[in-house]
Amino acid sequence: MNKVIIINLNGIAYQLEEDGYEALRAYLDSAARRLEGNPDKGEIIADIEQSIADKFRSVLGANKTVVVTREVQDVIAEMGPVQDDSFRGPGAAAGAPGASFAGAAGPAPAAAAPGVKAKRLYRLREGAKIGGVCNGLAAYFGTDVTLIRILFAIVGISFGAGILLYIALMVIIPWANTPAEVADAHGDPSTAEDIIRRAKEGYYSGMKTFNDPANYRQWKRKVRQEWRQHRRDLRDAWRRNKHDWNWSWHWPHHDQPPGQPHVYGWWFAMPFAGLLSALLTVLFILALLSLVTTHAIFGFYLPYAIPFWLQIVGLIMIFNAFKWPLRAMRYGFHPGVGPAHWNPFIALWHTIAWIGFLIFAVWLLHHNSHAHQALDAAGDQVHDWIHQFKNWWDRQ
Amino acid sequence: MIINDNFSAIRKGLLEFLVLKIVAADKVYVADILSQLSGTEFATQEGTLYPLLSKMRREELVDYEWKESEAGPPRKYYKLTAKGREQLRETDDYWQKISETVKQLGQGASKSTN
Repeated sequence: MNKVIIINLNGIAYQLEEDGYEALRAYLDSAARRLEGNPDKGEIIADIEQSIADKFRSVLGANKTVVVTREVQDVIAEMGPVQDDSFRGPGAAAGAPGASFAGAAGPAPAAAAPGVKAKRLYRLREGAKIGGVCNGLAAYFGTDVTLIRILFAIVGISFGAGILLYIALMVIIPWANTPAEVADAHGDPSTAEDIIRRAKEGYYSGMKTFNDPANYRQWKRKVRQEWRQHRRDLRDAWRRNKHDWNWSWHWPHHDQPPGQPHVYGWWFAMPFAGLLSALLTVLFILALLSLVTTHAIFGFYLPYAIPFWLQIVGLIMIFNAFKWPLRAMRYGFHPGVGPAHWNPFIALWHTIAWIGFLIFAVWLLHHNSHAHQALDAAGDQVHDWIHQFKNWWDRQ
Repeated sequence: MIINDNFSAIRKGLLEFLVLKIVAADKVYVADILSQLSGTEFATQEGTLYPLLSKMRREELVDYEWKESEAGPPRKYYKLTAKGREQLRETDDYWQKISETVKQLGQGASKSTN
């Protein structure tokens, strides 16, 4: 069930889903900003609204009275970003924010002002096949989805790693939920796309002058400098992504400003996440031991087609895929946690909570016969595994 | 891809010329112009075309009249003005010259290097 918003386009009412309304408003706002100062602004906007209305009418019928979000997005993509080269008014330069939105699916908006908003890596629902990972990557690098899918398929078939990588990315990359996030996913071509574009444009022309050694040296220096800058940009963008993503663990909606949070869950959640990741680590080591010694994970045999070394790699990847979100959750629950901002009070609390958990665990084991037996059995099992591992090692 | 990027400025500059040509042939509305351009190298979208048409109307190259349509509200039908016709002829001549130059320059260069 979705909320519906009624809008008036040139005198006729249309019912739009809420997200679709937001998307349309963003498009029309950006159009208005771009036409700022144009003497025919009002008329052009009216033309555009009329055209949108025509397109809406074509998707509606007797049994369909609401324009859904996807249809609104399709219409916006069909309209394309409003580009006005005829008039260079005072608002022309300032009109760019939000304009990148319109470029989401249309041809690249060449007029978009640089550095308006950095690109973010999101998973995109629009046109997603499984988890939207390929879709998001394609938007991030400004390439075709099919190409990324084929790459994943090749890696997936020949190594099996593609599937694991996909799952890992699915866990790591957040969905783009709001229209603004979808816009960010396509974003401003300031990072990855820019590198590809520059590589295409600039370097070829530089290569033509290679027969002149002085030119060649200069070209080399320039390329090196630029790549250093690109690497820095990309790293910064990635850091921002990670930071935002950490935030999203306790701010379910991205659009809230990542200011100082008033979240009191961290004192509970942090040691809890810590315990989970500790358990995960123990589980991982046990699984690895069992895989090495018995060629099966806790008695579960993997398909013979997968070579042994790959089983180990896969196990490590699965472990990391689970561990990383936990880490991020721990760091995400408080701004003072994490390698970058070490805070003695939080570290102290973390330690105290840990000792508390340990004491509780020891107490539980002493007073609960089932747990006691389980631990005894587990000890024997581990002993057994280690023994088998030794045998296996001797045989090598 | 590289060709696409390098020539986007040329395509942009030529769009007005092509719109003049399309409007000169017949009275059209925006959807006609879009459909005639789609499938060519000059495929464009309403977001680009409406501002361009309004600029051309400001410069008195085209004019429009409202016409009732069978389905939906009245539409703007665009037609060429006298000034627009003049501009089209000039641009057409200029274009002929440019394409001649492009053709000849390549051949001349290859001959001189031989």
